Amino acid sequence: MADTAHTLDTTTLLDEAAVRAAAERAGGGDASLDTRLEALATFRDTPPPDRVRHLWRYTDFSRLLPESLEPAGPLAMPEIPEPPDGGMVVVLRPGAPPEVRSSDAAREAGVRVLPLGEALEGEELFGTVVPASHGYFEALNAAAWDGGVALTIPGGVHLERAIRLLVVAPDGVSLPRILVVAGRGSEASVVEEHVGGGEATRLVGVTELSVGEGANLRHTVLQRLDAGARAHLTTRARVARDGGISTVVASFGGSLVKMDLGSLLAEQGARSEIVGFVLGEGRQHMDHHTVHEHVAPRTWSNIDFKVALTGRARSAYTGLIRIETTAPGTEAYQENRNLLLSEEARAETIPELEILTDDVQCTHGATVAPLDEEQVFYLESRGIPGDEAERLIVRGFLEATLSRLPDSVRTDVEAAVEQRLKAFEGGHR
Amino acid sequence: MKNEVVFSCEDVHVFVEDKEIVKGVTLEVRAGEKHALMGPNGSGKSTLAAALMGHPGYRVEGRITLLGEDVSEMSPDERARRGMFLSFQYPVAVPGVSVANFLRAAISARRGEEIPVREFRKLLTEAFAALDIPRSFMGRYLNDGFSGGEKKRLEILQMMLLEPVFALLDETDSGLDIDALKVVSEGINRVAGDHMGLLLVTHYQRILNYVRPDRVHVFMDGRIVRSGGPELAHELEERGYDWLAPEGAAVGGAA
Ligand SMILES: Nc1ncnc2c1ncn2[C@@H]1O[C@H](COP(=O)(O)OP(=O)(O)OP(=O)(O)O)[C@@H](O)[C@H]1O
Ligand SMILES: [Mg+2]
Repeated sequence: MADTAHTLDTTTLLDEAAVRAAAERAGGGDASLDTRLEALATFRDTPPPDRVRHLWRYTDFSRLLPESLEPAGPLAMPEIPEPPDGGMVVVLRPGAPPEVRSSDAAREAGVRVLPLGEALEGEELFGTVVPASHGYFEALNAAAWDGGVALTIPGGVHLERAIRLLVVAPDGVSLPRILVVAGRGSEASVVEEHVGGGEATRLVGVTELSVGEGANLRHTVLQRLDAGARAHLTTRARVARDGGISTVVASFGGSLVKMDLGSLLAEQGARSEIVGFVLGEGRQHMDHHTVHEHVAPRTWSNIDFKVALTGRARSAYTGLIRIETTAPGTEAYQENRNLLLSEEARAETIPELEILTDDVQCTHGATVAPLDEEQVFYLESRGIPGDEAERLIVRGFLEATLSRLPDSVRTDVEAAVEQRLKAFEGGHR
Repeated sequence: MKNEVVFSCEDVHVFVEDKEIVKGVTLEVRAGEKHALMGPNGSGKSTLAAALMGHPGYRVEGRITLLGEDVSEMSPDERARRGMFLSFQYPVAVPGVSVANFLRAAISARRGEEIPVREFRKLLTEAFAALDIPRSFMGRYLNDGFSGGEKKRLEILQMMLLEPVFALLDETDSGLDIDALKVVSEGINRVAGDHMGLLLVTHYQRILNYVRPDRVHVFMDGRIVRSGGPELAHELEERGYDWLAPEGAAVGGAA
């Protein structure tokens, strides 16, 4: 791919007029505009990412940045699935309020779905989990998000079925923003699925999740953008006392994708797990970063991140565990395994541990291994063609992680994995 | 068809990089025939077997046919789908792939169409019973954490399900306890019947008491140095290999 890096003039990318235009398109009142203008000020004060700093060492940020915020042309809409009984489907796209299809059961349970602009009236949580000051892309999103939704699961509510958020990318710029608030003691599952896009797609997304006291939230991110799309997604959860978040990321699509995922274990007894599946082929460039930040006592986190690459695909995984002095009795685990099917594929894996207290249990592991030719030969010697043998081996590589997922999540992720692997090119000869 | 040549190889040489390991092997196996291949450690028996199956790590010269068709240039999976089978001396573990899923993929590949679920279940149940393998193995990961003997049983189970026309069994008897040897031998005999050809690599006479060979070949330093009837195996058991060493041989290849 020709490097299309351009000289950046960030003042022309985002000015007050652009912010006002975005606010207009996305809908929302004065509160929305005020927070956007504050974010604009932050954006102006935030220097663009520095490639020397570790988080940007592997990816040229300028290739992720939209050249302008000019809205894309008409959007190709995918088929919207009907929500199953007890479920809900929300479609999010730029320049339109979220479209909600809810089963009666989900509505009666009291799940609130609001356009983010409306929710901002009186909603203090916006920007607290991922503040504009988080970084350049996050400030850009906070000022200029062009489609947003706020989901609130009231305290004590247990949802049987997942809430499906279908985020549709145009072949151009889009800045979706999602806020999920899981009330005290609630239990819910949110599936955030990114689809659509094309060569011109520049997606800059932010998802904020607030997990209340004793609540359990499942968050599944299915990144299935079309070939050519470029995306930067930031996802953060703040977990309150004895609450838990389980994040599953399946990142398969696009040509250049950077994701920054993580949890702040803010109060004692909070738990967070991140399970990752990355499949890359051709010239796909994938850059994933996870953060587990422990600031309270007796918090727990685990990361199981798996990457399989073929063709000339590239992956960088950086996993940061930070345990503050205020977090004794904490357990944190992290494992990243990479499987390379072709000689040209490359994977980097960088664990980062910042442990400031002694009273912790923490382990981490990372491996990068080529495809085992003897496994391929064994399967082939049974009549299984080489490509299929490789798919079986990749599937096997993911299996131990997949099999730990609860059935409801596993079904979604497995379907996405199968679909992706069907088209996966053989790499070994 | 009985007496039909199911497998042949002509002047097969196998090289690893520039080292010649197999130095000209010619062999013909007819339907219903069982051949034993015996020879000292490191003489190249496994290399020959893997190369005949099409292992990509070797350079092979010579001609290999299966049911009269030249398969020398074919990939391992093409050979397998045409009915060649290799029971590995060291079966390879494939973590995460269940025995059942693997077997379904293999049977479907060999048949050229998906095997219906019910038929698959029935076949599997019978084969597991015949080889006295607990059903719980269906859900386990392929060869992952299996004992030596369990792996060998599973190799023969695969042979049973894939119904090859010609099978290379590389030390299927090593690692089996006395009872297992009997069960596995019965399995081999049952599958082999009178239409399949078999080349059995072994170090021991014992398995040959159950799986009775028509021919015994002595393999040393990359070559068949003597062929004879079943009595040759007994002679080897008594006398070892030294008396058969080819004159002026044993310096490990002329490279
Ligand atoms: N890939 C390889 N690279 C280097 N040497 C090899 C390779 N494969 C086989 N050899 C060598 O070729 C020789 C024959 O090995 P092979 O495994 O075929 O012997 P074998 O007759 O099966 O022995 P055993 O009875 O111990 O199983 C050995 O010296 C072995 O080290
Ligand atoms: Mg051997």
